[in-house]
Amino acid sequence: MTSDIAIKVENISKRYQLTQNIGGGYDSLLGSTFRGLKRTFSAKNASQQKEEFWALQDLNFEVKRGDRIGIIGHNGAGKSTLLKILSRIVKPSSGRITYEGRLASLLEVGTGFHGDLTGRENIYLNGSILGMTKQEIDSKFDEIVAFSEVEQFLDTPVKRYSSGMYVRLAFSVAAHLDPDILIVDEVLAVGDAAFQKKSIGKMEASSQNDGKTILFVSHNIGQISAFCNKGILLKQGRIIQEGALGGIINTYFGTDTAKEKAEFIYEHTAEKTYCIERIRVLNTQNVLTKNFAHNESIRLAIDIKRQRPVSDVLVSVFFNDMLDKRLFTTQIPINDKFGNTDSLSLQLTLPSHLLTANTYFFTVALHVPNVQVLDEHRNLSTLSIFDNGSDYYKYQGIDMGYFFMDQAQWEVKH
Amino acid sequence: MYLYTLVMKTVISSEDKTRLDFKELKSYGGLFKNLSLRDVMVRYKQTWIGFGWSIFRPLINIIIFSGLALLVDKSKSAGEQFITVSAGVIFWQLISTAIADVSNALSNNTNLLTKVYFPKLLLPLSSILVCIIDFAISFSLFLILFFVFKGLPTWTFLFMPLVLIYGLLFAFGFGLFFATSSVKYRDVKFILPFLLQLLFYVTPVFISTTYFMNLAIPEFIKTIYQINPLVQIINAFKWCLFGSFEGFQLNYFLISIAITLLTLWGSVRYFLKVENTFADFI
Repeated sequence: MTSDIAIKVENISKRYQLTQNIGGGYDSLLGSTFRGLKRTFSAKNASQQKEEFWALQDLNFEVKRGDRIGIIGHNGAGKSTLLKILSRIVKPSSGRITYEGRLASLLEVGTGFHGDLTGRENIYLNGSILGMTKQEIDSKFDEIVAFSEVEQFLDTPVKRYSSGMYVRLAFSVAAHLDPDILIVDEVLAVGDAAFQKKSIGKMEASSQNDGKTILFVSHNIGQISAFCNKGILLKQGRIIQEGALGGIINTYFGTDTAKEKAEFIYEHTAEKTYCIERIRVLNTQNVLTKNFAHNESIRLAIDIKRQRPVSDVLVSVFFNDMLDKRLFTTQIPINDKFGNTDSLSLQLTLPSHLLTANTYFFTVALHVPNVQVLDEHRNLSTLSIFDNGSDYYKYQGIDMGYFFMDQAQWEVKH
Repeated sequence: MYLYTLVMKTVISSEDKTRLDFKELKSYGGLFKNLSLRDVMVRYKQTWIGFGWSIFRPLINIIIFSGLALLVDKSKSAGEQFITVSAGVIFWQLISTAIADVSNALSNNTNLLTKVYFPKLLLPLSSILVCIIDFAISFSLFLILFFVFKGLPTWTFLFMPLVLIYGLLFAFGFGLFFATSSVKYRDVKFILPFLLQLLFYVTPVFISTTYFMNLAIPEFIKTIYQINPLVQIINAFKWCLFGSFEGFQLNYFLISIAITLLTLWGSVRYFLKVENTFADFI
């Protein structure tokens, strides 16, 4: 007899010491020796020099067998840290987690892929890294290959693959994992859309048939609401709500203070070939705002910086609703727009009388279609549109859809 | 057919691991095999002569260092010097590449450390196979040479497997210490090549222990030289082939074994202690 609790998390906390150069830095042997010496001679300062950061604080929850939990939270809420602790990649600072059965985590696809090895060799290597046995890989090999659609290139080193093929192969191995508990980070956000859908469908099917327990992190609330049956909302390392998804999604959007701004400035990093430097939301008087009347134009001013040219770059802006369902996309190729400089200022104007009174999010992305995303800022701002006296005004409280359909024509025919 | 499915229970906590979990390591046998094979397959990919390099690399060293040995130590004939230096260089190649590969095994696989769980000891462990294959190739060619020059080896040849295991245990323990510290301290990457170069000259790879012992240097340096496990391991290797153990003293030999086991034990403990913090530092 086994209990119906798949994962039990008790008092999990994770502390980082900011003086330790987490993430970016390697310490030098000499440096740390000096610090050690300094500490011995001036013991009184030791505690003051350390700055602590709690990535997770006192988490408690239980996951039932067969549950599909969506973990929701803004950047820095502790989602990744939680997944890393559950995947046993980092150790918690305190607390305890117990789980039953085989657990596999997908924090990225293609972990351990080696460019010099062929597709066939990489399937075996990657499969065993993800925790599959040789027999399992043997028995699923043909299925994986067929799923990936790269049969022809099975004996070619994967470094010669196109990026699309590479991702498809990596995905296929992951989609054929068959653990009792599956942890998925935003890996599903790569690859082309059709293939993504196929992979998600595959995972969904296996989870519903076999009662697999799944923990899923995504920024795509739509994906979470389609895939998960429960949620956990994290904020600043704590659980602020758990249970039914609907309520959690409402809280997630409601308590969002980081999205109050109408101007976004980003630092560019050296590895980005193109980056978005600044995004502003303006009204027709060029005033920063996030509230618009329905008969007012919305302007997005986007400043882009180019560090190294790449061909076929597009800027896309898309608007999503509260459930993260995309409403529309507009895009423009920008390579011929730079002229002699490396910076570009674009302004997008959305016509007035387009969107109905509602709350919207928008995303700005720089990408090469179907190849790579160069820079992206998702679900930036809650743009509220209020009704300034449209025909729909009298129906307040009734969902009238998202668009005024001014182009629609009514005629009287005899 | 199993009547009951075995449900494995796992506990994650903040406690340090202090003991090797052999059962877990064993359950990851398939991964160990695949990681080892990866290193073997990748080493000579896209090289013109492929595994020919495992002969070519030591060959160049043999030629250079038998020449040097002839200049330094005039007590042996050219043929004699050539075959002794060959033995030394080929064995040194095994030990030094094993140390170097083990020490790089973690920093070369950072994405495996930060993205997926498995007993990380598999990485340094699996990096040794490729060194053994390299050695097997160059050593079999050496044996042919040995038959031509010296005929059949003595009965001591039977101890060869033990000496190889001893050598690899030392290389693993020594390399593992560097591998573990290199995750946090990158300095290690610069220290080790230098250290290996130094060790090449102060172990009997091409300058024999007899020659070293006759040098006019302080006694304590000679003692340090003698308790260096590498000196004993290389001499033991030569003993297997030629039947005479240069400068053999039982107490030094035992001390060197003790040092080897201590290094291995210490490194594994150090590794286990910090294994779960790798992802925090990379």
